[in-house]
Amino acid sequence: MLTKSSLATDLGRDANVFINNEALIATSQEKVVKLYGAGGARGLESYQSGVIIDNLGHIVTSWSTVLDVAKIRVVTFDGRRLDATMVGMDPQNELAVLKVEDGGLVGFDLSRAAPGATGQRVFAISNLFGIAAGNESCSAQKGVIMASTPLTTRRGKTKSLYQGRVYVLDAMTNNPGASGGALIDLQGRLVGILGKEIRDEQAGIWLNYALPMDVVKSSVDRILSGNTSVQTAGLKAVAQPHRISDLGITLIPDVLSKTPPFIDQVREDSVAQRAGMQTNDLILLLNDQRADSRKSLEKMLATINRADSFYVLVQRGQELIRIHVRP
Amino acid sequence: METTEAQTIMYVPSYCKICCATVVILLSVDFFIETPIALAQEVVPSVEKAPMPSDTVLAAQQQRIEAMRRASSATVAVYGTDGQGGGSGVCVSPDGYVLTNFHVSSPFGHRMRCGLNDGRMYDAVVAGSDPTGDLAVIKMVGRSDFPIAMIGDSDTVRIGQWCFAAGNPFVLATNLQPTVTYGLISGVRRYQYPSGTILEYSDCIQTDAAINPGNSGGPLFNIRGELIGINGRCSFEKRGRVNVGVGYAISIKQAMNFFGQLKSGRVVDHATLGFTVTTENNGKVAVSNILESSDAYRRGIRYGDEILRLGDRDVTTTNQLKNILGIFPDQWRIPIRFRNETGVVETYIRLQSLHLASELEEIIKGESPQQKPPRKPGGKEPVPGDKEKLELPKQTKPVTKDAVDELFVEKRGYSNYYFNRFELDRILGLQAVHGSWTGSAEAWKINGEIPGENIAVEMLLSDENLTLRLGDKTETVHPLKGWPKWIKQRSSIGALMGMRVWQQWNRIGPKLMGEAVYLGRNPIVGRNTLYDATRITVSDFDVLVYTSPDTGLIEVIEVFSDRQTDPVELFFEKYETAEGRATPKTIRLAYGLESQFIVSINQLTRIEIPVGTGL
Repeated sequence: MLTKSSLATDLGRDANVFINNEALIATSQEKVVKLYGAGGARGLESYQSGVIIDNLGHIVTSWSTVLDVAKIRVVTFDGRRLDATMVGMDPQNELAVLKVEDGGLVGFDLSRAAPGATGQRVFAISNLFGIAAGNESCSAQKGVIMASTPLTTRRGKTKSLYQGRVYVLDAMTNNPGASGGALIDLQGRLVGILGKEIRDEQAGIWLNYALPMDVVKSSVDRILSGNTSVQTAGLKAVAQPHRISDLGITLIPDVLSKTPPFIDQVREDSVAQRAGMQTNDLILLLNDQRADSRKSLEKMLATINRADSFYVLVQRGQELIRIHVRP
Repeated sequence: METTEAQTIMYVPSYCKICCATVVILLSVDFFIETPIALAQEVVPSVEKAPMPSDTVLAAQQQRIEAMRRASSATVAVYGTDGQGGGSGVCVSPDGYVLTNFHVSSPFGHRMRCGLNDGRMYDAVVAGSDPTGDLAVIKMVGRSDFPIAMIGDSDTVRIGQWCFAAGNPFVLATNLQPTVTYGLISGVRRYQYPSGTILEYSDCIQTDAAINPGNSGGPLFNIRGELIGINGRCSFEKRGRVNVGVGYAISIKQAMNFFGQLKSGRVVDHATLGFTVTTENNGKVAVSNILESSDAYRRGIRYGDEILRLGDRDVTTTNQLKNILGIFPDQWRIPIRFRNETGVVETYIRLQSLHLASELEEIIKGESPQQKPPRKPGGKEPVPGDKEKLELPKQTKPVTKDAVDELFVEKRGYSNYYFNRFELDRILGLQAVHGSWTGSAEAWKINGEIPGENIAVEMLLSDENLTLRLGDKTETVHPLKGWPKWIKQRSSIGALMGMRVWQQWNRIGPKLMGEAVYLGRNPIVGRNTLYDATRITVSDFDVLVYTSPDTGLIEVIEVFSDRQTDPVELFFEKYETAEGRATPKTIRLAYGLESQFIVSINQLTRIEIPVGTGL
């Protein structure tokens, strides 16, 4: 903590006071990565930001269409280009954890993550607008936490899957490419993760916000403990499994390496219809396991006996719905 | 309408009072101090009993107020002559030269109005334009003591430092007080690709200080109130043309590199290296294509060589190379370090022009007010982009020739030819104190020696021919023609050419030698300061004359045959006063970067020849 006298000395050489900021931000920037994946068309960016959260190569970021590729390209502060795979995702919090093997990445210490308070000053670090490339530094912005409040209060006005608590910021942080970036306090501790772009449909105003670290940590814990993970390898198929066609649904054609399992059609009077599945539902989880593509959904279904019931979590518009499918 | 605006302004203070107890405490607490923030948060609920912030906090605030006060006085609101439109600028010299964006000045034509925070409007005229780098220099008239901004060092700007922008966002400065927005340096050395135009922002500073329409051309200051950039561009996408937390400023280093060029009244150009690079998989920035006619090629750079350093900075990516290149005007010679099979080479290369003169002319034409009526005394002023406005009563008053009209001369290839003449006259004015060489036709005899080698040197310079005696060798050349042949051979006759240019510049002056164009301030290899550079086009060759900005004395003369050939470089390294005139005592001839010989001059004799003898 700065004492009054040490501060006075510093102010005498006023440059020194400000160098602390520079060092703080420079150190934090080394823990923020640029992510590149799917997208690039129809207003969807193919890039976003991510935060390294340990020294094991784990990166937390927003769960978005950018991650719909087999290998997500990670570019570190020093310009190294690494490949990451998705460990798992938490659709409720719209967060995902990626892993880079043997990258020697050094990240934030999540145990030192701090809660934010209304009125607190913070810095946001992200690759907004994809301004930085290669070894160029991510952008830093200043801000104040204006409110710590649930997004649900804005339900109906904003399109967001996530409805939990957020830190609303007074800075223009949540631009294209910024989601997944870091929000840090003046000690360089992680305070939040910048969320996806949200626009107030009525006022046309874009919300600047971050997910608090307790929310982020709960997602990270769940993902790293194996829940909601993508584990299609090693799954054992049963003799008489469920099949997509038997359930009475048609998925959109499998044309990508990771085609998202969107329901194209639901047959009248089928198992799926009785369970409440609808056209345009996106299947996210099957028995709490992540189905990140049509292929992985098929593999996972093949492990469930035709006679057994199961749960799916689907995204319908901006809602998450848990459906119990009984044969 | 003005009343409404005035009322709006009036409302602001009273509204502020409502929340001032909270706001003052929060704002006065400096961002970087943790303790007082906690303090501020504690006291918010009981505003009445709020303790005074600590002395250090108040001191920091006072410093900031002072920096902003000083900075605001040099911040300029730029308007069209009818008070319409608007942008920002910053005054950098007491005689009223203002840096702004090209995209701010160009719609106004040559004439505009500038507001300072002393509440006064000043007439202003455009000097030079840089359409590629989006810079322009305009000159305010009416004072010789305009408040100026302190020039900072943009090379020391780092992410995380505090900064503030001042200017005229949304043309709010109706009372001519600039709006100040505070922010963080978000990024440095950003490269912004040209977006559908030639306009390119290289090596710029990114800030989250609010930069909005109207801030264009205005200053970005560091927290000490030193000028570090010229705001000019923002990242906009789907959110409309308002600040989204990302503004870009042209570094003051680039702006000041171009400032001397822009004062010349020219449409100035950026540069190319004469080669392209690619970043290879191993991270090497290697030459992927090179023009054999380029200076870079003559300095030994070849396909595949690795570029290590350009200017005073290391190169590790293609973007960095573009960043560095973007801050230099064409024709500058800048240091470069590269690696080839034999090792690392350090040299200098002369930058080539990025555009053809005709390309720049097209851009200027496209950006200028749509219809530029011919200027005649008593005629109407053109109104930027809006012909209908000409019918307004305010505009129908005949404009008599005034101070601004005196400062404008239209000419192809120039924003304002007046300033080119002005700068050349300034140089000649500086030279006048060193004694006059003007007079009747005369021939000169120069005697000297090559020091340490005991070789006598004699030069005869007359309107008939030029002769060089070097030891027992004698060579003769016409005083005006046939020079390129000798330049290509790197002949020692180059010394005669340089001396002849020196003689003619002093005898008849640059304007009578050919078409003389003041270029701006250019570097000389191996020296730290910039020199006034003037280009003279004589019959079939070009000459570049570098003069000292302090003394006006000629430091280097370069004689060019063509683009493919290194020019003659004659250095004048020592001046002494003889017979009341500054006379060079040592001259050095070089081609490329290789010195050919040095001559110490013992005597310069003028042989007076009566006019009309036919010699």
